[in-house]
Amino acid sequence: MGSIVLVVRLVLADVRRHKVQAVMLLLAVTVATATLALGLSLRGVSDALYEQTRAATAGPDVVALSGDTGPAVTSALTSLANEPEVIAHHGPYRIVYADLTTRDSTASPVVVHGFAERPGTVNRPLVTSGQWVRSGGTVLERGFATALGVGVGDRVTIAGRSYPVVGIAVTAATSIYPWAAQIGPGGGPSDYSGLAWMTRSDARTLASSHDLPVTSAMDLRLRDPEATQAFLDAHHDSAMTFHSWQFNANQDLVILRDSQPILVVGSWLLSFLAITGVAALAAGRAVEQTRRAGLLKAVGAAPGLIAAVLLTEYLALALVADALGLVIARLTVPAIASPTASRIGDAVGLGGAIVAAATVLAVAVAMLSTLRPTLWSMRTATVTALSATAHQPRHRPWLTALSALLPTPLLLGLRLTARRPGRAVLQACSTATTVIAIVALLTLYAQPERGYGLDGSSALPNLRGEHDRRLMLAVTILLITLAVVNTITFTWTTAMEARANMAVARTLGATPGQVSAGLSTAQLLPSLPGAIIGVPLGIGLLSLFAARNAVEPPAFWLLGAALATVLATAALTALPARLAARRPVAQALSAETA
Amino acid sequence: MNVSSAAIRACGLVKTHGQGQSRVRAVDEVDLEVPQGQMLAVMGPSGCGKSTLLHLLGGLERPTDGEVWVAGRRIDTMSERALARMRRRSVGFVFQAFHLVEELSATENVELPALLAGRSRRQAGRSRRQARRRAGLLLERVGLAARARHLPSQLSGGQRQRVAVARALVNDPLVVLADEPTGNLDTAATLDVLRIFQELRAAGQTFVIVTHDERVAATADRLVSMRDGMFVDDTRLDGSHTGGLGGLIGLGG
Repeated sequence: MGSIVLVVRLVLADVRRHKVQAVMLLLAVTVATATLALGLSLRGVSDALYEQTRAATAGPDVVALSGDTGPAVTSALTSLANEPEVIAHHGPYRIVYADLTTRDSTASPVVVHGFAERPGTVNRPLVTSGQWVRSGGTVLERGFATALGVGVGDRVTIAGRSYPVVGIAVTAATSIYPWAAQIGPGGGPSDYSGLAWMTRSDARTLASSHDLPVTSAMDLRLRDPEATQAFLDAHHDSAMTFHSWQFNANQDLVILRDSQPILVVGSWLLSFLAITGVAALAAGRAVEQTRRAGLLKAVGAAPGLIAAVLLTEYLALALVADALGLVIARLTVPAIASPTASRIGDAVGLGGAIVAAATVLAVAVAMLSTLRPTLWSMRTATVTALSATAHQPRHRPWLTALSALLPTPLLLGLRLTARRPGRAVLQACSTATTVIAIVALLTLYAQPERGYGLDGSSALPNLRGEHDRRLMLAVTILLITLAVVNTITFTWTTAMEARANMAVARTLGATPGQVSAGLSTAQLLPSLPGAIIGVPLGIGLLSLFAARNAVEPPAFWLLGAALATVLATAALTALPARLAARRPVAQALSAETA
Repeated sequence: MNVSSAAIRACGLVKTHGQGQSRVRAVDEVDLEVPQGQMLAVMGPSGCGKSTLLHLLGGLERPTDGEVWVAGRRIDTMSERALARMRRRSVGFVFQAFHLVEELSATENVELPALLAGRSRRQAGRSRRQARRRAGLLLERVGLAARARHLPSQLSGGQRQRVAVARALVNDPLVVLADEPTGNLDTAATLDVLRIFQELRAAGQTFVIVTHDERVAATADRLVSMRDGMFVDDTRLDGSHTGGLGGLIGLGG
C-alpha cells in the first residue's frame, strides 16, 4: 500500500512539473483513440440506427417491388400476402417517379409513395414533425427534407403542381436518402432520389395527370424476420424484385463505405504521430528519468517500483486519454454514422471489443514511446545513473567533412541532425504521415462527383462525397495538429539537448541567426525526404481503398502539398529555434559546467 | 594608454544580477585597459565577479552600465550578430570545462571556428584543406599532433584543454580570454598548458586569464585582484603598481 501511495505521489509530482508534456500525451492519445473508436463503431451504430428506425416504423421484413402496374401485377403482389410465411402486409401501393422543385429552385428526382391516410400495421412511417399525409399535402422523408432545406409549412412543386409539406417522416422500408428509389421506372436502374408520401388518390392523380412512370410495391412481415433469405430463394423465379430488411440495413452503410477506412487508417496515422511525439519527449527526458531511477535505487527501491514510477505516469495519462477518446467517440458517432437524417434513434454504447481495441492502442502508444528510455534507466548502474549525462552522439567523420563544405546554417543543421539520427527518422516519418493525409484529402477533392440534384446537378451536393471529405478534413486537421506539436517538440528538444554545443558555437563566432537557422535546418533536412516520400506513400495507401476509376489529383497539387509542408515546417521551427538561439550564452555554458 | 593600442578597454563597467533586495553587483565600476601583447591575470575569491568580467569583455554578456572596447571598437552597443562577428575575428575563449564538441575529433574541434568564420569560402586562398592544415599545425604546436583524430572522450583533461587552446587560436584572435583554464587539471597538465601560454605570450598573444591558481597568475605580466565585483589591486609582475587600490586597503604588494 505504501508503495502505491509513493508511486502515486511521485507520478503526480512529475505530472505537475511537466504539464506541457502531460497535455501533449493526453491530446495525442485522445484523438487517436477517439478516431479508432469512431471508425470501428460505424457499422454497429449504423445497424443500430436502422434497427431502431425499423422498430419505430414497423418496418417490413421484405419489400416486393414490381416494375409494372396493372391488375396482373396487383394480383401477383397481393398473392404474396397469402404465403404461409407472411403474417402481415401493407400495399400494394404506387411508386410514382417525378421531379420535385423547392421554392428556391432546388430540383431533385423524387419517388412518391401513395399511402393511406391511416397507416396500416406494416411500414408505418414515423412522423417526426407536422402530420401524416392528407389530401392535397405531401410528407417528405427526413433525410430528403434536410438536404432540400425544407420544413413543415413550406411548399414544394412535384411534377409541376404545388403541394404544401404537411409533415416530415422516416421509414425503414427504403434505403436512406438518396437511395429511396429502390428500383427505377420499369424495374430498371434508379437515380439518386428523395422520398415523398401522398395519399393514394393524390399519387394516382399525380401519375395519371402527367403520365409519369409508376411502379408497384408491397411491404411484407414474415413469421420469422430472420428467414428473409429463405423467402427470397423461394421466389427466385418471380418477375418481382425483393429487398429484405438486411439489404436495407447494408445499403445504409454505402454512404459510410469510405468513412471507416478514413477513420481507422486515420487512427493508425494519428497513433503513429502520437508515438513519434511522445517518444521524442520521453527521449528528451531520458537523462532526468535515469537520474531519478538512480536516486530511487540509491534509497532502496526495487526494480519493479522503479518501473512502476517511470511507466505509470505515461500509462495513467494514456488511459485517461483513452477514456476521453471513447467519450468523444460515443458523443460524436451518431452524427458521423448517420449523415443523412434518414434514421432515428440513439447510438448504442461502444462495444467491449471497441473499448478494448482503443485501450490497447492507448497502452501501445504509451509503452512504445517510453519503454526504451525506461528500460535504459532501469539497467543503468546506480552510481552511473546518478551522474547521468546526455547520450553521447557518435562521431561521423564523413558527415563532419561534408558539412564543413556547407554554409554555416547548413553546417550546424547537418551536424545537429547527425547527433540524433533516430529523431531525424521520427521527424521524417511525422512529415511523411502528414503528407499522406494531405494527399488523401486532395485526392478526395479531385474526384468527379455527381450531385443529387436533377440530372446530377450539384444544387444538392453529393452527401457521401461531402461526408468523406469532411471526415478526411477532420482527420487531416488532427494529423496536422499533432505534426505541428511534434515539429515544435522536436525543435525544442533538439535545441535543449544541443544548447551547450550551440553556446560553444556562439562563443566561436556563430551568430544567433546562424544558430537559429541551424536548428530549423536540423528539422528541415529530414522533413524534405519525408515530404517527398509521403506523396507516393499517400497514393499507394489510397490505392488500397479507392475505387478502380478513382482520379488522381494533378501532379502540381501533390508537389505543392509537399512543398507547402516543408515551408510550414520551416515556419514552425522558426520560433522555437529563435527562442533557443537567443538564450544567453554565458548562462548556457555555466549550466553545462554545473 | 592610447585607446587604439589597447586590445581591450573597459570603462565604468557594471553588471548586476537579480532585482530588488536580491540585486547583486557582480561587476562594480570596473575600469580596465589591456595593451596588446600583455598577459593579464585576474584573481579573486569565488563569486567575486571574475568570470562575469570575462564574459563582459568577450561580449557573451551585456553590461548593465559602462563601456567595453575590443580592438578599438565599442562592443557593448553591438547587435548579437556583430558581437558574433567580433568574436570570430578578435576573441578566442578557453574554458575550465573545455567545452569541446564531444562528437568531433580534436582536429574537427579546432577547425570549427574557422568554418564558422567562413574562411573556407570567403577568404581567398584558404580552402577547407587549409583550415584543416592550420588545425593540424596548431595541434602540433600544443603537442597533440598524434592525437588529432581522437575524440575528446579519448583525451585526458590536459589534452582536452590543449585542444581548446588550439581552437581558441585558430582564427588568430587579438585576445584570448581564459576562464580558469587549469581549474580541472592536475599539476602535470597545468604545467603543459602554462608552457603553451608562455610560448604564445612570447609570440605576442594578448591574454586575459581568470584564475584561482597562483602558478598561472605568476606567469602573467600583470595581476588584477577582484573582490565583490571591484578591482582591489592592480600589479605589474615586474613589481610596479599600475593602480593604487591595493595599497589603500592593504592588499597590494
